[in-house]
Amino acid sequence: MAKDITIFTTNTCAYCVMVKKWLGAKGHNYQEVNLDQHPERQKEAFEVSGQLAVPVTVITKEDDSKEVVVGYNLAKLASAVS
Amino acid sequence: MADNKEVLDATAHEVWDVVMVGAGPAALSAAVYTTREDITTLLFEKGVIGGLAAITDWVDNYPGFPKGIAGLDLAENLRLQAERFGAVIELGEVLSIADKGDHKELDTTSGLIKARTVLIATGSDYKKIGVPGEEEYYARGVHYCATCDGAFYRDKRLVVVGGGNSAVQEAIFLTRFASHIDLLVRGDSFRASDVLVKELDKHKDKISVHMQHTTDEIVGKDNLVTHVVSTNKAIGEKVEFKTDGVFIFVGLSPNTAFLKDGKVELDEIGLVKTNHELETTIKGIYAAGDVRSGATMQIASATGEGATAALKIREYIDDQNMGA
Ligand SMILES: Cc1cc2nc3c(=O)[nH]c(=O)nc-3n(C[C@H](O)[C@H](O)[C@H](O)COP(=O)(O)OP(=O)(O)OC[C@H]3O[C@@H](n4cnc5c(N)ncnc54)[C@H](O)[C@@H]3O)c2cc1C
Repeated sequence: MAKDITIFTTNTCAYCVMVKKWLGAKGHNYQEVNLDQHPERQKEAFEVSGQLAVPVTVITKEDDSKEVVVGYNLAKLASAVS
Repeated sequence: MADNKEVLDATAHEVWDVVMVGAGPAALSAAVYTTREDITTLLFEKGVIGGLAAITDWVDNYPGFPKGIAGLDLAENLRLQAERFGAVIELGEVLSIADKGDHKELDTTSGLIKARTVLIATGSDYKKIGVPGEEEYYARGVHYCATCDGAFYRDKRLVVVGGGNSAVQEAIFLTRFASHIDLLVRGDSFRASDVLVKELDKHKDKISVHMQHTTDEIVGKDNLVTHVVSTNKAIGEKVEFKTDGVFIFVGLSPNTAFLKDGKVELDEIGLVKTNHELETTIKGIYAAGDVRSGATMQIASATGEGATAALKIREYIDDQNMGA
């Protein structure tokens, strides 16, 4: 089970909307970091994902290990939050 | 009509009246029509609800919005309207369709689904250019979605590849972030509309247009893109464009791989062939929007085709009910 979920998003990113919608439908709470509102956190999103893309979803598990899913990838999201 | 309807999923009916593959403008519009006729309607969406319209920054030519509308807002409105009358949207992918005569069977990521009719409205996806570096730097400097990834290029240099509507529109969008954009066009003129080309002219301070320039290689160092190697075809010389990222908009290829068994006939570029009633070569399977051979690839035409397909689906179901 996920202990914490953080999503890096931007205002115009439609795939970010889908990740939030999917997590909501599955009953998961998440925190959102909007990079348009917090451009200073872009570096963090890049460092955690190695990519210059959103959405970046960081799932922290019960044992504090982290899994990072870049993009709207249902299969990866499902296994990461399970 | 009930706005507070019970939330249903793909298992709500053993046999759906219609299953729509995709939830872009074509399918969502069709769903508004079918659900209002009490035709049970399930849509499968593997990507973004609203399709390509949702990832378009701004839409100026969809009737009814004199000031234009953000693509994401138009997509959300279409979704709300379809769901208001009872459309069910399943987040998943259709992997194949089998014709069983009076019904169709769809193999999906949510299991086997049965339907009396099917609407194929899968649109298309961005084409790659197939040059060295494109794969390697994907999402680390090479992008296909400006509204998704543009924000990473605040005050940075960009190369945009393409000469059609999408390339010009997205290059203009990217000026809100980038310090400078080199727009590389392979041909000697734009394929974009005059309105967009005129709009582009207003951004001369930020966008330099390079006609007859091919994109040959995307080069990087330490995991980041540094430049693009191009050929100026007019003089046959290699040129390098320094850049932090590359956005590629060189056209679309149809999402029809899931029809690989060949029963639904495709044209030479992989678009679905239909008759004038938007029915494919299999009875009870219809196609609408960008994925249809002969489509005009606009949101307004996709929604119009969705409405037409829905009315034809209703006729088909009525005929089936009467044993025709
Ligand atoms: C950058 C850009 C800018 C544009 N600007 C404009 C504009 O200003 N005005 C305008 O009129 N048009 C514009 N267009 C074109 C417009 O977006 C399309 O014509 C329209 O979205 C087509 O709608 P559709 O429903 O046919 O397909 P799409 O919008 O492509 O939707 C198809 C959906 O099907 C889904 N799908 C595909 N395969 C499967 C499967 N096997 N299972 C489940 N789901 C599947 C896809 O994920 C997608 O969401 C633009 C296009 C682009 C790329």
